[in-house]
Amino acid sequence: MRFRLVRYFVLTSCVAFLAVAAALVFFQQQQGELFRSVQSEEAKFFGEVQTSFADQQARSARRDLLAIHEGGNVNLTRLFANTLWDQGLSALLERAGEIDVDQCRAIPDGQNADGRTVAPPEKKACFAEIGAQIRALPEFAFLNDKVYRAMHRSSVFKIKVYDTRGVTIYSSEHAQVGDDKIANAGFLGAMVGTPTSELTHRDKFSAFEGQVENRDLISSYLPLYGQDGDSIIAVFEVYSDVTRFVDRINQTQAETRAAQASNLQSIAAASENSQLLIDGSVKRLVGVLLGLLAVLFAILFLIVSRADRLLRQHEAERSRSQQQLAQAEKMASLGQMVAGVAHQLNTPLAFSKSNVTMAMEGMRELSAPVDIAARLAAITRETHDDVVTLKVAGARRRLSGMQLRGSDVDDMRTMLGDVLGGIEQMSEMVTNLRDFTRLDRNKTVDFDLNKSLRNVIYVARSVIPTTIAIEERFDDAPILNCNVSQMNQVFLNLINNAAQAIGKDGSITVSSQVTADAIEIRVRDNGHGIRGDVLPHIFEPYFSTKPKGEGTGIGLSIAREIVENHGGTIEVESTSDEGTTFLVKFPQANEHTIIDLAA
Amino acid sequence: MTHAAQPDSSQRGKVLCVDDEPGILRALDWLLRRHFDVVTANSGEMAMDLIRDNDFDVIISDQRMPGMTGVELLKAARQLAPRAMRILLTGYSDLQAVLASVNEGEVFRFINKPWNVDELPVVVGQAVGLSRTAAPRVEDEQEDAAPQRLADPILLVDGDASVHQAFDDALEEVAVTVFHARTLAEALEVLDREQIGVLVSEVRVGGFDATRLIRMLKAKQPEIVSVILSGEHDAETITSLINQGQIYRYVPKPVRAGYMRLVVSSAQNKHRQMRDNPELAGRHEVEAVPAWQAEEMEQDLARGERRRAGAPEPASGVGLLQGIVTTFRRLLGR
Ligand SMILES: Nc1ncnc2c1ncn2[C@@H]1O[C@H](COP(=O)(O)OP(=O)(O)OP(=O)(O)O)[C@@H](O)[C@H]1O
Ligand SMILES: [Mg+2]
Repeated sequence: MRFRLVRYFVLTSCVAFLAVAAALVFFQQQQGELFRSVQSEEAKFFGEVQTSFADQQARSARRDLLAIHEGGNVNLTRLFANTLWDQGLSALLERAGEIDVDQCRAIPDGQNADGRTVAPPEKKACFAEIGAQIRALPEFAFLNDKVYRAMHRSSVFKIKVYDTRGVTIYSSEHAQVGDDKIANAGFLGAMVGTPTSELTHRDKFSAFEGQVENRDLISSYLPLYGQDGDSIIAVFEVYSDVTRFVDRINQTQAETRAAQASNLQSIAAASENSQLLIDGSVKRLVGVLLGLLAVLFAILFLIVSRADRLLRQHEAERSRSQQQLAQAEKMASLGQMVAGVAHQLNTPLAFSKSNVTMAMEGMRELSAPVDIAARLAAITRETHDDVVTLKVAGARRRLSGMQLRGSDVDDMRTMLGDVLGGIEQMSEMVTNLRDFTRLDRNKTVDFDLNKSLRNVIYVARSVIPTTIAIEERFDDAPILNCNVSQMNQVFLNLINNAAQAIGKDGSITVSSQVTADAIEIRVRDNGHGIRGDVLPHIFEPYFSTKPKGEGTGIGLSIAREIVENHGGTIEVESTSDEGTTFLVKFPQANEHTIIDLAA
Repeated sequence: MTHAAQPDSSQRGKVLCVDDEPGILRALDWLLRRHFDVVTANSGEMAMDLIRDNDFDVIISDQRMPGMTGVELLKAARQLAPRAMRILLTGYSDLQAVLASVNEGEVFRFINKPWNVDELPVVVGQAVGLSRTAAPRVEDEQEDAAPQRLADPILLVDGDASVHQAFDDALEEVAVTVFHARTLAEALEVLDREQIGVLVSEVRVGGFDATRLIRMLKAKQPEIVSVILSGEHDAETITSLINQGQIYRYVPKPVRAGYMRLVVSSAQNKHRQMRDNPELAGRHEVEAVPAWQAEEMEQDLARGERRRAGAPEPASGVGLLQGIVTTFRRLLGR
């Protein structure tokens, strides 16, 4: 198949350029995607950092708030204790301590659905009973009055006092008096000397002033030390209202959040902006690259199509010069043949010319005897005598000088006969030559290949050494529809090659064979054969192992072309140093053979 | 020419004709039998048998024959019957055959087919005469005979300086004087001055045909043995050099030094034989060179000399030319 340079170039380069363009676009998108994801990641991280910072701040503000209020509550408790101690607290502690709680404590705790330990209602009722007993004490009312008065209009919402047994002996919310706090963590912490505070939000809370709603409270469990200052004699629980502070903290936090959100927003806007910028520049870059690719393609296309034109031109020139060479080769072998045939012509020409010249000279010598004989004949006709007297005195010299004999005339006849033979040889040669270079060059005719072979052998004999014998083994009528002069050329090439392979002594066998479905022509020689490494190349044009001037190497390539044009094949079989056989085979249609057989 | 044989049969030349074509043999027989005893053979092998059993004066053979070729036959005949003169009959000129016939067969003449009916008997008659006047001894014909100490000088004529150098290199160990000439005029001068034994020449020298010099020289001084050392191989030229110049060898360039030495030493032997035995030179008699060729040669010489001298002073130029022409005429007899 022909290689179409321009087409292939356009196809492959288009594919390549498209692939490059697609890759560029893809990368551009990837790049954008990546940038976007990095940006959002960054924004997320930044947001998280800000949030955690704000939370941290709020948390620490709350912790500070707790610490401050705890400190405040400790002082408050102390102040409270100091003030209330003599005003009924000690008395209440004492009186309440007299109430036995052990039987209430003995009631076992139960468990609620969550698995937590809770007091059963009878236990609660038992302690409520104790609470009622305490509330009934006059010390209680006394203390309560004092507490209310002290705490009026303060930020303290509630005060509770537990004795060391965990029993609520006082609460500004009276219902809670008597509650058992023995299991409470804050109480237990305070009992070992550690004040514990907790910030809670209450939707509803019963404070000194009554029911309050929506409050942030700090509750602190605070130990109350006795006069000796070492032993804990009670635990205070103080609820103070920090709603204002917590609100402030919350407000700060909200402000921080808002700032954070606006920060994030502006970051997102900036990144969006830069994303747009980057996208734009990448698009421009891709556009420029695609443009460059297109220009590159155009330039390459120009170069390639120019190269293609040049190649075509070279190809055309090459085939033209190849044709010329083939023509020259034909002429050269024709020249060789002409010389060979001229030589062959020279032989009959030489003896014919010599004989004719001599015969003519002989004729001159014959004229005198013929004259004399004619005169004798005339004399004989004129006289009726049987005896005639000839006077030879005058003609003696002339007559005795005559050396001609009858055999000379016979010789002359033979000589002229040879001349006739020579002329026949020459005309045979001319016929063969004419047949060989048939003028009906472009016509194909049904032709007996044996005739062609005979003709070629005849002509070839005049060029190849006389020491090479050519044997003919012809089968009956191998008739092929062919261009005869081309067939002659094929056979001449094969026979010449055979002769050249033989060199001096040897023999060539040319045979024809008609098989059921083919005509086979074989040219066999016992020459030097063809080496294995040479064999695959012999049909290539210009392949020759012969010295320059002796072989151009196109003989076999021409032969193969001709044979294949006639629908035939040419095969070779060779043994080094033993010889070579070329087989030319023309397949024949079967019906052809059947008709031949029937005929 | 009156070399035609006498009626006495013992005096009649004995000629062997060899050709595979009976027509040729019969024609030759008819042509030659009036003057010579003609024996014919239709193959080289048959001819060899005849040569062994007979003493032929002349052997005429065709070149192209199945089996033995003409050259092979003549080469063998040179050993078997050295006295017999050898004539090769050729149809068309196969260069290799012609070269071999000169160098191996040492033929006396090439006769082209078709031959001239008047001339062939004359040439054969000449050959018969020469074969009887002097016969070379077989051993003298050997190529490997030792070179003689007292060899006559060699003249090498070639326009190419490198050939002179190569020639000197080849003959370095051989004790012989070699004169060098780059032009025909120089060659002429050397030939006039020295006793040259062997002339080695190219076919063309300085653009001029040197073979005319060789042919004319052979006609005048037949004892000079000529060898052609040439890059031009053309059967026609060689044929005329044999028939008119009786060249001794035709050596195609390029040539190996060893072969050149062999050729030169055998040429010197040949020259010695001819110098010592002048009749022998007759065996190398040549066809006459036409007068117009001599004239042309004279003109070429003058032209070449003028060209070589460039634009010489008229007086001395004319003097020089005159000298060459005089030498030419003296040497080659016009
Ligand atoms: N009968 C043969 N015996 C041995 N070798 C052969 C024979 N025929 C062909 N060859 C080999 O095949 C080669 C190619 O043959 P081909 O006829 O194509 O070219 P050629 O003979 O070298 O040149 P030319 O163009 O003059 O025919 C020869 O050079 C030779 O080596
Ligand atoms: Mg060939």
